[in-house]
Amino acid sequence: MKFLFYLMLVVLLVPLQTTLLPHLSVWNIKPDLGLVTAALVGLFAGELEGLLVGLAIGWVLSLFSAGELWLSLLVNGGVGLLAGFLGRQVSQVTPVSLGVGILLVSLVSGLFAAITLKGFDMSQMWRMVESVVFPQACFDGVVGAGFYWLLSRRFGVRPLRTE
Amino acid sequence: MWMAHSSSPYGVRRIALACFALLLVAIFLFPGQIQGLLQYLGGPVGYVVRIPLEAIASIDAGIADRWEQYVMLQGVREENQQLRKEIEWLRGQHSQLRESAASTERLTALLHFKEQALPTMIAAQVIGRDATNRYRTIILNKGEGDGITPDMGVVTPAGVVGRVVKTTWASSVVLLVTDPNNAIAGLIQRTRDEGIVEGTQEGLAQLKYIPLLSTLRDGDRVVTSGLVGDFPRGLMIGTITRIDKQEGALFQSAELKPEVEIGRVEEVLVIQTSYGQSIKTGVGADLSEKAAP
Repeated sequence: MKFLFYLMLVVLLVPLQTTLLPHLSVWNIKPDLGLVTAALVGLFAGELEGLLVGLAIGWVLSLFSAGELWLSLLVNGGVGLLAGFLGRQVSQVTPVSLGVGILLVSLVSGLFAAITLKGFDMSQMWRMVESVVFPQACFDGVVGAGFYWLLSRRFGVRPLRTE
Repeated sequence: MWMAHSSSPYGVRRIALACFALLLVAIFLFPGQIQGLLQYLGGPVGYVVRIPLEAIASIDAGIADRWEQYVMLQGVREENQQLRKEIEWLRGQHSQLRESAASTERLTALLHFKEQALPTMIAAQVIGRDATNRYRTIILNKGEGDGITPDMGVVTPAGVVGRVVKTTWASSVVLLVTDPNNAIAGLIQRTRDEGIVEGTQEGLAQLKYIPLLSTLRDGDRVVTSGLVGDFPRGLMIGTITRIDKQEGALFQSAELKPEVEIGRVEEVLVIQTSYGQSIKTGVGADLSEKAAP
C-alpha cells in the first residue's frame, strides 16, 4: 500500500512540477516540490524511505529536465536521508526550523549547480544565484514549512523519533 | 498518526547510509555507465509518466483555452490568434524568401545548383516546462519511439525554438534558444557574417564572435548558418536589438530578440533530417502543409 502511495507520489509529481507549477510561479521562479517531498518523506517515514523516495524523485524529475542526473539524484536522495536523521535526533521540529533547513539545502544544491554549469563566468554565475538560486531557496523553504505545518497541525502526522 | 515511533532505527540507518555511500561511490567511479543505465531504465518510466503528464497538460490547456474564450473577448481573441499564426507563417516565408534571394544572387554566377530538399519534420506538442528553474526547456510529447534523438533541431514556422537534449521513449526535453547553455551557429542575413547564438540570463539571445569589421546594425535579421548542428541554413533565429562593441575586443556581439515567442509555444516541429537527406522521400513536402496556419 505504501509502495503504491510512493509510486503515485513520484508519478504525479512530474506533471505537477512541469505543467501546473509554472502557473503558480513568482517572478518566473517555481518551488522544487521534489526537494520538499523528499524532505517530508524522510522526516515522517525515516531515513531509508526518505532516501529511496528522494532517489526515485530525483531520477524521474531529471528525465524531464536538462539538468545533470547525478546532481538531482544526490540532492533529492541526500535530503530524504538527512531529513530522516534530523527527524530522529531533533527533539522538536517546527515549520520554521524545517523551512530554514530546506532553504539551506536548496541554496547549497543551487550554488553547486551554478558552479558546475559549463561556460559560465563569475558575473553570469552571480546573476544566476541572485535571480534564480536564492529566490528559489526561499520559495522552497516557505513551501516546505507550509506543507509541514499542514501535515503536522492539521492531519496530526508526527516525525519519526528514536525511543 | 503515521509511524510515529520506531524501536530499531540503527539497522535502518545503517542500511540507508550504506545505500547512499554505495550510490556515491558508483556515481563517482562509473559516471558514464550509471548515467547510461538510468537513462535506459528511464525509457519505460518516461512512457508511464507521460500518461498523467499529457492528461494534465490537456486539462490545463483546455482550462486556459475556455478561460480565454469565454471570459476574455471571444471574437477578438480568435481573430487575433488567426492573425498571429498568419504573421508567424508569413515571417517564416519572408525569411526563407530573403534567404533564397540572397542565395540566388550568389549562385547565379556559378550556374550549378545542388538540388535541395525540404527537411523531414515531426510535429510535436509542448506538454510541460523544465522541472527546475535552472534551465529554460520545454517537454515534448514525442520521444525516441517517434524517431527523435538528442541534438535534433526544433522549430516553428516562425523560426528556431531550440534543440533536443534528452529523450525517453515517449517524451523529449528541448533546450530553448534563450538558455545560456545553448549554442547555435548563426548568420547575419544582410552582411553574411557568422557567429554563435547563445541565450542570456534575461531570456533573450545574443550573437557572439561577430568579426569587428562587420557592418551589422539594429534590425538586422539573424538566421541559422547550417554549418554546425542539425539546423538547415536560413531558419530565422531573431532580430538584432543592440550591438555591443568594446574597445580592444577581438569580436563584437549583439543582443537578439528571438523570433519565436518562446513562452507561448504550443506546437513545434522537430527536424529529423536536414537538407539534402530527405531528397525524393516525399516527406519534406508535408512541411509546407504543416507550416501553413
